[in-house]
Amino acid sequence: MVPAAALLAGALALLSLARVATAFERPLAASVAQSSAITHVTDEVGRQVSVPAQVNRVVTLSPDLTETIYALGLEDKLAGDTNYCDTPPAAKLKPHIGTAQNPSLEAIVALRPDLILASTSINRRETVDELARLGLAVYATNPHTVRGVLASIENVATVMGAATQGHGLVVGLRARLEALHMRLNDLPLAHVFFVVWQDPLITIGQNTFIADALKWAGAESVIIADQNWPQISFEEVVRVQPDYIVFTSNHSGDTGKLLSELRSRPDWKGLHAVELGHIVNVSDEIARPSAGLVNAIEELAHDLHPEAFSGPGARYAPGLQKSTPEFAVTAVCGEEHAACAR
Amino acid sequence: MSATDRARQALAREDGATSNARRAKLVVEQVSFAYAATHRSAPAFTLGATSFEAQTREMVAILGPNASGKSTLLRLLAGLTKPLSGRVELEGAEVSSLDLRTRARKIALVQQESDLLFPLRVWEYVLQGRYPHGRSLRFESDEDCLAAGNALSQVGAESLRDRWMNELSGGEKQRVILARALAQQPALLLLDEPTQHLDIGGKVELLRRLRRLADSNRHTVVVVTHELDLAAEFSDRVVLLHRGRCLRVGAPAQVYERELLEEVFETPLEIAISAGGRPHVHLREVP
Amino acid sequence: MRPLTPRRVLGICLLLLAVLFAAVVLSLRMGAYPMAVRDIVTTLVNGALGRRERIPSEFWLVVFGLRLPRIALGILVGAALSTSGAGFQALLRNPLADPYVLGVSSGAALGAILSLIVAPLAPGLIQVAAFVGAAATITGVYFLGRRGGHLDSGTLLLAGIISASFLSAVIMFLMTTLSGRDLRGMAFWLMGDLSSTPAVDLRWLYLLLLVGAGSIYTTASDLNLILSGEQEARHLGVNVGRVKIVVYVAASLLTGLAVSLSGAIGYVGLLTPHVMRMLFGTDYRLLIPTSAIGGAIIIVLADLLARTVVAPTELPVGAMTAIAGAPVFIYLMRRSMR
Repeated sequence: MVPAAALLAGALALLSLARVATAFERPLAASVAQSSAITHVTDEVGRQVSVPAQVNRVVTLSPDLTETIYALGLEDKLAGDTNYCDTPPAAKLKPHIGTAQNPSLEAIVALRPDLILASTSINRRETVDELARLGLAVYATNPHTVRGVLASIENVATVMGAATQGHGLVVGLRARLEALHMRLNDLPLAHVFFVVWQDPLITIGQNTFIADALKWAGAESVIIADQNWPQISFEEVVRVQPDYIVFTSNHSGDTGKLLSELRSRPDWKGLHAVELGHIVNVSDEIARPSAGLVNAIEELAHDLHPEAFSGPGARYAPGLQKSTPEFAVTAVCGEEHAACAR
Repeated sequence: MSATDRARQALAREDGATSNARRAKLVVEQVSFAYAATHRSAPAFTLGATSFEAQTREMVAILGPNASGKSTLLRLLAGLTKPLSGRVELEGAEVSSLDLRTRARKIALVQQESDLLFPLRVWEYVLQGRYPHGRSLRFESDEDCLAAGNALSQVGAESLRDRWMNELSGGEKQRVILARALAQQPALLLLDEPTQHLDIGGKVELLRRLRRLADSNRHTVVVVTHELDLAAEFSDRVVLLHRGRCLRVGAPAQVYERELLEEVFETPLEIAISAGGRPHVHLREVP
Repeated sequence: MRPLTPRRVLGICLLLLAVLFAAVVLSLRMGAYPMAVRDIVTTLVNGALGRRERIPSEFWLVVFGLRLPRIALGILVGAALSTSGAGFQALLRNPLADPYVLGVSSGAALGAILSLIVAPLAPGLIQVAAFVGAAATITGVYFLGRRGGHLDSGTLLLAGIISASFLSAVIMFLMTTLSGRDLRGMAFWLMGDLSSTPAVDLRWLYLLLLVGAGSIYTTASDLNLILSGEQEARHLGVNVGRVKIVVYVAASLLTGLAVSLSGAIGYVGLLTPHVMRMLFGTDYRLLIPTSAIGGAIIIVLADLLARTVVAPTELPVGAMTAIAGAPVFIYLMRRSMR
């Protein structure tokens, strides 16, 4: 009796398993079929994506993309984000789909997204492929430089059907960067050691967009390396003796405690930068390819080249906490771009 | 007829078949063996030309001091190595050219120790001796169980049947190992220094049992040993080896000559003949 | 004296298959997408009968696109690793042997990394490259592990351990020095990940599993004897040399198969045979099928836990097998000591 039932169950299971292999002869798009119009676009890694003309529900797979959605004012369409999306804080209240590295595919499907946004800065190729295999529309951004970050924001805005907001936001950000560039153009680049991690000592390579961000802030990394996150020995830092040492944290500007802690350590004490107090603590937005990156660049530029910002025309108040993207948009829109949509 | 009865009949038939052989069952003719020789020197013979014969129900003792070539001869008898010259024949077939399974059906080599990796029950261990009697992947038949049971009772280990192998004492383990060899139902039973770790009582009991087995099962038993007295007491034939050379083959009384034994074992000895005609060896006092 | 009979083997296997079935049902039931049992059943039945149109597309997506493929892959990987582990424990005469001890997983990982370097965007290439890496390692270790013309357990173990260390070092080197390459995928692959779709049709892979496990099964009686002593086994007529080669190749290929598909999931290959030994005995004629089914059960349940314990975060399967497996093993070990 029991063996017979088990055999029957086994046969049914095997039959279903066999069906599994043939389940996806053609991709099925659950929600795309409902929309009337579809646009075919190419994403930033070269994939062909079929995006509905009207995107009502979007799921983001990385914190920078979540931030971009909020910056574009599209947070009502945000159906879900990752566990670690915390900028702005409201993003923490959205439904979560897991970690960026290993999101739950089922949770994503359960949210019925029209579009999924992924970023090569943190997501895996396998995740994107799996979602595409299930017939879902996935748009991947691939920012490598600061200008690339701005282009990504515009692309995301376009794909979301908010091209005007995107254009407005990006034009403003670009203007700020250009202004910064004009101020810093004649000044020599500050030689900076960027600390990603203290123990082991890890810094940035020249191909990261952080390196590019440094250039926009009038600085360059003293370490030239091909790897993205090279681990180096402390001796190398001593040999090069950077002008400034840059740390990142989510409490920018609070260098007092950091400086006294560094001065108490025998190895760091010997660096000229530590002696002179040339320690900078910049917002961790500098490592994120989103709109807040420009804030962080400006903050860093102020810390590294205070002489360029004294006198009339100074717009940025040092010591200000991480500003919201809305601040950036209205500040610029109010002054220079009356044609802004918002 | 029950399965057990059918199995008994099959066993009886097999026994009957082997008793029809009239010629000597084991023929060892001019075998020699040497490890690979270099091109410069002549091969170092571990065993020079050796010949002897044995009938069913006979027990042969291979005697000699250490490094006399006893183990080599045993390996040749077991068919594990091909002799450099000569041949070893069992029931008319050259043993080294038999395939593994056939050879295992005819020849059982009893090891000293058992090297079990995972715990095993005694009856499982003895049943393994039935392996040569079927296909490679097989499940034991009633015939197999009967043969294993027989083997256990022949060594007096029936009561140990359900015990774990690693719980047995040294003597018990040795009986079980012997039982596994008997379960193979071999024509030739080979033992390599089986009395090494036993006390005198154990030694006598083992050899007596081997004698009985040779008689009842019509095995031919070959025992490698250096126990002079026990070999003389229980064996029908003795092969005396010394430094790779076979010095003499024959009944114990013929082989046990004082000068010969003294030369081989390099000890002053004295031979006495007992009432049963068996020679006994004593130490001789040297003035 | 109750020798093992085919009927007993079949009976125990059916029992375990029933447990596996229950695990599959449970695993189908749970997930981030809320689905009633009734819906799951109708989806399965309609799917089996080929009536796809009757099922809402989202149900189809979740059952046949997400859950069932993952379960099917888990069964395959669990069975392959456990059978391989049982085989290696016999081949190397070492109860601590697991499928990775001979370096197969390191070779596969190296193949995967090289494919990420050479052609990072080719779909499915990583799996093929991993399998090629595994096969190359199998061949290399085989030649290193020979002694006097045939496989020697001790030499083989040494050769495997050295190869594994060497390959791991090469992988470390590549991961640290490669300029700008995105090797994020490797970290997950190294911990074990059941969410990737196999590049090859699952049915072919199941066939490979059956061939591999079946090959090892043909040597089951031989392995029983070899485990009582290699020399003695030879004297009993076992062709030890041939058996070793068959088990070595089959077990290594099973490991390579599992690792190419899902990375190196730990502990299953080591623990499952021991658990099955404690429950059902050490006879390999029973141990091989029970290990296979037992491994499938363990992976299905471990994956279920990995998916649901801190949902929506998905833990690596390998972490679950370690966390859940160790206490169970300790319990069974203490029970068997009494």
